[in-house]
Amino acid sequence: MSESVHEVRHEAEFRLAGVHTAQELEAFHVHFLGKRGKLASLMDQLKTLPAEAKKDFGREVNELKQFLEAVCQSKKEAVGPSLVKTENSFDHSLPGIAPPVGTIHPITSTIAEIASIFERLGFEIVEGPEIETEFHNFTALNIPLDHPSRDSFDTFYTASGHLLRSQTSTVQIRVMQNRKPPLRIIAPGRVYRPDTVDASHSFMFHQIEGLMVDDRTTFSDLKGVLNLFLRELFGPQVKTRFRPHFFPFTEPSVEVDIRWGKGWLEILGAGCVDPSVFEAVGYDVKRVQGFAFGLGVERMAMLRHGIQDIRLFYENDLRFLRQF
Amino acid sequence: MKISVNWLQDFVKLPPPIENIAEQLTMAGLEVKKVEPWQNKKDILFEIEVTSNRPDWLSHLGVAREISAVLNLSMQLPEVDKALNRPMPSGWKINLKEVEGCAYYSGVLIEGITLQPTPEFIRERLEACGVRPIHLIVDITNYVLLETGQPLHAFDADLVGGQEIQIRKAKPGEKFTAIDGKVLELRPADLVIADNERAIALAGVMGGKDTEVNSKTRNIFLESAFFHPRWIRQTSRRHTLSSESSYRFERRVDPEGVGLGRDRALWLIQKYAKPRFISAVIRAGRKPTEVKNTIHLSETLIEKVLGTPIKSSQISLILTKLGLTVSKDAEKSWTVRIPSFRPDLTRPIDLVEEIARIYGYDKIPENLPERAPLFKPRSALTKLEEKTRHFFAGAGLSETVTFSLISERGLSRDAELKNAVAIINPQNKELCWMRPVLLPSLLDVIQHNLHAGIRDCFVFEMAHTYAQGSREKSPAEDRVLAFALFGNWKPKTWLDVDRKAAFYDLKGIAEAFLQACGIRKFEFVSRPQSFLQPGISEELKVGQDILGVLGEAHSRFLSLWDLDGSVYFAQISLSKILPHVRWVPHFSELWRYPGIERDLALTVPEMVKTGDIQAEILKFGNGLIHEVRLFDFFRGGRIPKGYKNLGFRITYLSRERTLVSVEIQKLHSEIAEAMARKFQATFQ
Repeated sequence: MSESVHEVRHEAEFRLAGVHTAQELEAFHVHFLGKRGKLASLMDQLKTLPAEAKKDFGREVNELKQFLEAVCQSKKEAVGPSLVKTENSFDHSLPGIAPPVGTIHPITSTIAEIASIFERLGFEIVEGPEIETEFHNFTALNIPLDHPSRDSFDTFYTASGHLLRSQTSTVQIRVMQNRKPPLRIIAPGRVYRPDTVDASHSFMFHQIEGLMVDDRTTFSDLKGVLNLFLRELFGPQVKTRFRPHFFPFTEPSVEVDIRWGKGWLEILGAGCVDPSVFEAVGYDVKRVQGFAFGLGVERMAMLRHGIQDIRLFYENDLRFLRQF
Repeated sequence: MKISVNWLQDFVKLPPPIENIAEQLTMAGLEVKKVEPWQNKKDILFEIEVTSNRPDWLSHLGVAREISAVLNLSMQLPEVDKALNRPMPSGWKINLKEVEGCAYYSGVLIEGITLQPTPEFIRERLEACGVRPIHLIVDITNYVLLETGQPLHAFDADLVGGQEIQIRKAKPGEKFTAIDGKVLELRPADLVIADNERAIALAGVMGGKDTEVNSKTRNIFLESAFFHPRWIRQTSRRHTLSSESSYRFERRVDPEGVGLGRDRALWLIQKYAKPRFISAVIRAGRKPTEVKNTIHLSETLIEKVLGTPIKSSQISLILTKLGLTVSKDAEKSWTVRIPSFRPDLTRPIDLVEEIARIYGYDKIPENLPERAPLFKPRSALTKLEEKTRHFFAGAGLSETVTFSLISERGLSRDAELKNAVAIINPQNKELCWMRPVLLPSLLDVIQHNLHAGIRDCFVFEMAHTYAQGSREKSPAEDRVLAFALFGNWKPKTWLDVDRKAAFYDLKGIAEAFLQACGIRKFEFVSRPQSFLQPGISEELKVGQDILGVLGEAHSRFLSLWDLDGSVYFAQISLSKILPHVRWVPHFSELWRYPGIERDLALTVPEMVKTGDIQAEILKFGNGLIHEVRLFDFFRGGRIPKGYKNLGFRITYLSRERTLVSVEIQKLHSEIAEAMARKFQATFQ
């Protein structure tokens, strides 16, 4: 073991600041000037050097020795007489030194949590593009142009005639176009709607789309899977209710509420896949059936963590992020 | 929409408590969002949410019909005018020129009305529903709209030019002054009602100022029609003009309601406006019958979709209650006739939903499907993302989620934005670019935290970057990892001194991350980047693949974002890392013989790159060097200007034998000499 002279000097200067008691001074002395101390090991190293290097190195080691002796002397006067070591000299209440710890964003951790529940049920995580076509975002999902059912799907358009997907349902279309049933997928991702940003709205947010298709999946299965999921996410005591609703791409359609405080809270939309969606992707309507659902990740994360304002997710204030 | 409970009571007798009815409607799909008393409990209001497939619910009569179905109550219809054999209005005629836009038009001439105050019950019900009473005739048309769902329009007949009512396309550039005073410039795609010289109403959307009924009005032309949903919707959107009428027409009104609404209004006008004369109805066009009004339904479909059987008797009861006509064709097979107010029912699956919602979703049992496993592995990208997320959180960085849409700030249309995707209808005019790089977003985060008093910020994010596709192709998206360091990388504590983040922290994180991905061979190559500071800008390469870039954010960003220290930024493509990732680490044997460490301190000219020396030392080691680590870097002091002092710790190690000190000493000296030759190194 050997170290360069000025590294030892650096270390000594640094350690010196921490010498306040006679014991600490003693430890300092042993570490640097002791028989097996740093200075001694530099001396050993000196012996192995070629003659021409010896001269400079020797001078430096000598300077270091003088420095160390001088500081020990002056510290000795400062710290006073040596004390017998008592239990009091160890201050257990000095703060611990934490390693750097980062955090995972509550949106992505919520996605991971939800995805893991569905993965255990045999669903596969898939993804699709965020910049989409009219066909995948609307036409195939049975949302015709110039129809009032579009009103809830205001959309950003690009100069090339593409659009930013307004829901992750686009991914079920892409998967069904490329694969045959049986399918069990979930598709998390970013979606975009030109909403004014306030405490509960944002022009960008996250959704998770789910789809289960084979030759026998029923509304009853939809209820079973979604209830299991909600009990897993919110605890076994959670109360759910399935309320008829309208979505162009499912029939029958349902909104699922959970009991929250005194009222009911809408938590996700779902339904049996509408035959027109199967037609759009070229499936044989007579042979396939299944269900789809979509849920808002921010909503889930807000409920899970007691967050009131959706804007907190995108501000990335470290005082917020460090709570997760 | 607001629904008055008093008004509903005209048609169905509601058994109390009212809250239960609201609950039952909600559970049948007609969501009652709020139940609230109006004016000291004079009335109770339902705030309902009507989905776009059920325009028939946009009226009190429609809601009453739903209640009667859900609660199995009998229903009473409103009183209507039934007079027959009235004389035709002399000289008046309808000229229907646009039959797609308007399939069916009807009108009645009413003469000699007396302007009475609007009856109390009409005023109250309109006010309860949020409509301001203005004028008896207008109030009656609004009342009928809210009651039956059929929008009507009353023209002051004396202000109409001539006696011919035209329904035509607008002329290009034709001017029209709406009741609210707005002057619109119309296009041929707009449908108008016109007299012999001008447009007097924007069909189905709004009446015209010129022919509006007023306090002097004595004679009226009352319109009731069926306008095409798409025509009305397009006009309404084009002119950003929406009304209770357009809202209903664009969702499709009941063709049978055209007559019902008109006759209901005539009954009310007769009773409260005391007209001298009411003409016979003049008509043009035909009621649309585009709705397929018979559906064959098999009971097996119901069970197949819902997963539970529903009894035949129940099926027929539910459908009948909903106003459908049911007849049994055969065992488990039905023919169902659909009434005109349910254009949403066109397929057997639509009837399955009707049966399910009235039967009650809550009564359908839940079932956990038992299926053969599909065994789809997690995608490599998903796996890599998870690995990355945990690595970076573990390395002390916080994950962020920032908007994909950014402004132009700090970026150039000739450089970063050259190939970027632009949004043509942004919500916030500034945020119109799909980001090609995450730097501006992470700068926002640093700035936000700085303003909040947090000076040290280490963040990472995984998200897409976007670029225009080549010609016909879709825009390209790439999943990237970005991270940034700002402020003190090491905080001051009572044991340690603090230290500012440096480029080398960024580089060290990148190196450790690649190693965590099992990537051993990579290099950093200096290459300018428009958003990085010249000279402190590196490409990360594995073989020929450029995985990403890292460096110091260009100084222009610091002033734009008002930051008082350097920002170190890296962006690496996850999809490009992917092929190089070693998912299953391969074990290499532990060394059995001890390593020997020797230090080598060199003074070299500034221009010599440390990495070159390091590589050269390794090359020299004859395979006996395990590691070359830079442990000291020194400038100034006794080191002459233009030189730097580097302290390397070399670990010599053989996997086959114990190394002899003499051997190492020789090798070490040889290395020192070689460095002196090659890099003009001296030993201080």
